[in-house]
Amino acid sequence: MSEQTGYTVASDTEIAIGIDIGTFQCRLAVWNGSQVELIRNTRNQKLMKSYVTFSDESPSPVGGVSNQLSHEYEMLSGATIFNMKRLIGRLDTDPIVSKASKTLPFLIQTLGIGVRPFIAALVNNIWRSTTPEEVLAIYLLELKALAEARLKRPVRDVVLTVPAAFSRFQLVRIARSCAMAGLHVLRLMPEPAAVALLYAQQQMPKNMGDSGSEKIGLIFNMGAGYCDVAVIATAGGVSQMKGLAGSSIGGEDLLQNTMHWLVPEMDSLFSSHGLEEIKSMGILRVATQDAIHQLSSQASVQIDIDLGNGTRICRVIDVEEFEEINKDVFEKCVSLITQCLRDSKVVKAEYIDDVILVGGCSSIPKIRQIVTGICKRSETEIYSGINPMEAAVRGAALEGALASGVNDPLGNLDLLTIQVNAHSIGVRANRNTFVPIIDRNTTLPARREMVFTTAHENQTEALIVVYEEVDDANQLLLGYFKVVGIPAARSGVPEISVCMDIDASNMLRVMAGVIMPGSGPRKPVVPLMEVRMPTADGGHGLCADALNKILGSNLDLVCPHGKLNT
Amino acid sequence: MLKTVLRTPLSTLIRKTLAQSISIQLLEENVTQLQNQPHFYTVYRFNSNERTRVFRNPQIHFIRNSELLGNSSGFCSSGSIDETSCCWNCKAQSPFLICESCGSVQPVDHSVDYFRIFGLERKFDIEDGSLEGMYKNWQKKLHPDLVHTKSKEEREYAAEQSARVIDAYTTLRKPLSRAIYLMRLEGIEVDEEQTVSEPELLGEIMEIREAVEEAADSQALNKIQSQMEEKLKHWSNFFANAFGRKFFDEALKSIQRMTYYHRVNEEIVKKL
Ligand SMILES: [Zn+2]
Repeated sequence: MSEQTGYTVASDTEIAIGIDIGTFQCRLAVWNGSQVELIRNTRNQKLMKSYVTFSDESPSPVGGVSNQLSHEYEMLSGATIFNMKRLIGRLDTDPIVSKASKTLPFLIQTLGIGVRPFIAALVNNIWRSTTPEEVLAIYLLELKALAEARLKRPVRDVVLTVPAAFSRFQLVRIARSCAMAGLHVLRLMPEPAAVALLYAQQQMPKNMGDSGSEKIGLIFNMGAGYCDVAVIATAGGVSQMKGLAGSSIGGEDLLQNTMHWLVPEMDSLFSSHGLEEIKSMGILRVATQDAIHQLSSQASVQIDIDLGNGTRICRVIDVEEFEEINKDVFEKCVSLITQCLRDSKVVKAEYIDDVILVGGCSSIPKIRQIVTGICKRSETEIYSGINPMEAAVRGAALEGALASGVNDPLGNLDLLTIQVNAHSIGVRANRNTFVPIIDRNTTLPARREMVFTTAHENQTEALIVVYEEVDDANQLLLGYFKVVGIPAARSGVPEISVCMDIDASNMLRVMAGVIMPGSGPRKPVVPLMEVRMPTADGGHGLCADALNKILGSNLDLVCPHGKLNT
Repeated sequence: MLKTVLRTPLSTLIRKTLAQSISIQLLEENVTQLQNQPHFYTVYRFNSNERTRVFRNPQIHFIRNSELLGNSSGFCSSGSIDETSCCWNCKAQSPFLICESCGSVQPVDHSVDYFRIFGLERKFDIEDGSLEGMYKNWQKKLHPDLVHTKSKEEREYAAEQSARVIDAYTTLRKPLSRAIYLMRLEGIEVDEEQTVSEPELLGEIMEIREAVEEAADSQALNKIQSQMEEKLKHWSNFFANAFGRKFFDEALKSIQRMTYYHRVNEEIVKKL
């Protein structure tokens, strides 16, 4: 009987590949039957630059997977779009977008009204419009072709790593890019979860039956665009995430801040995006990038560049200055780690067994200092079993094998990461207050319910407005719907139940129903509502304001007393 | 047996209404087709061009969702037949979360309390680390990430079992929630919002609150925190003792105190 339910997987089952698309660089990996293998491009590189160049000569745009740059400047001519991962799923009111619009050589126009920014690449002196989703899809197509050539089979199923800071909109957009490229996303996995899986595999007890003692690990992952922190408890191949925190800070911020320090007037200098300005921007960017790299190993660097138009920059920058310029970024790193430790109830740094430092920024001395400082250990005590540049993609490939149902006779895939959600999700109630229903760091899958009531006498409709809290004070509107047909009653009498459900694949649904207290069976008086989120497009800021202004107070929800304190 | 909680959870209601109203067989094909898609992919589809289709077919919309809830439509809620006394697959007697003889995941049996899931006696004191190992073992067998090669029905059982194991783990891990759960198993609901009537406790709480507010530095806060830890420990022991002897009034009294000291601790953590 049991054979019929299918415990084994047919040998021709496609094993999903793991993709880690970084803001600057990308990697691919796959389970080869006994271990994870990184897929190299035709130039034998494991790390490929994340960009796409538009041109008239080639029929289709070319990306960093197949293309060979003769020089970094080629990427900075205006024809190349990069930093897709930072831009995807963001509105033109987002500070990240407006900062990018001033420092990137291609065109990003913002109106600051809560719509999608206009993005364009310069081809033959014409700005041609595109979108981050489209650019990412073109890039993913190249990755797909590369993987197919290497594996000599069609590739469809993928596991993609994403930053913990990603909002639900960004997740939807990245999934859309994959679909455009003909890829089938099995999982969108937070980068620290992928690292946790790899760590769980390395910590697996050598003897069968020995479940091993639980180890607490702190994962700090900082790349060019994002920074993630996670606390994990690992034993017997299973990693339970205790806390997860993330922010949109990374190497790109260090770069932008340093560029501004070198050329304080650069925003106005480059605002017209003329050919000459783009060229100067490119020169500045490359020189700054090189300087930051050198500051990882030496105390000071001399920068001497000619930006054209008679502007010559000749300055020496030392490590202290670099750290001072980027104080905010480093402070954010500190607060992310302390917040994550607090959320995870790790009260003493001594409880952490392993400090795992990964991502492109992990070699920056200040970052190493911050992490080791908080965790109270020396640099040599940083976990050394993981290659910082390959951690996420290797974890993604492991998850790809797991999600494809691969069994390893040696038990190397006897693994699991149990994840938590990075952002609180809740509704607006009590006159424009965000009331979380599923708190951040709740183990997934999760279902939580909260009972609200009406604000007015004989209120027959209530508006359920769902938000995701991506930062302490920053909530994105995910969607909204009305519960109608509430029987006329005094305010505070009807029970409006709001239930939120996140399944293991991180899909969110919101349900609502009305129950009238009193005798008799307690059943809903009107049909229940069930809404898959997000329904709003891109967390439209204006839309949320309009909702509040027009409908807000009439259709308000109220928390019964004390409910907020639990 | 579990005492029915006063407030019927919405999820239960949804399960019940759906089980009655919609014929599953009829729409099975559509559902399976949708089930095989990864969820994000479907999110993407429904948000864009496919949206109209979904709204025109609300039944599919609902069924799919009910299945994603992990609710095996009809199970658990009917209660008239004792489905869980033998394995649904091999008919072996009294399977647990998973049948021991054939390895099939079983539908949730709500009469199995959280302590039994972890092979523990129904008492307050549990040994350090006695939950983690078992928790992870269960998740390895039940977590939705790992059971996708099983049948659709079994995957749903697993999703629900896995969620319940998570609930069990989080409830039993913390002394306060463990105490409240123990009381519930005895049929006593603890109202965490209940106001304090004892003047002596009230005075003490006011004093502590003031001390927290006036604390000049983290050192002072740490000191109050360790005092709270002491008190929590004391009242935990008190609870264990009272509960063991079935002195439920005393047990309730200690829960109330634990709740307050716990809150003070949380306030301190926020300030630190
Ligand atoms: Zn069986």
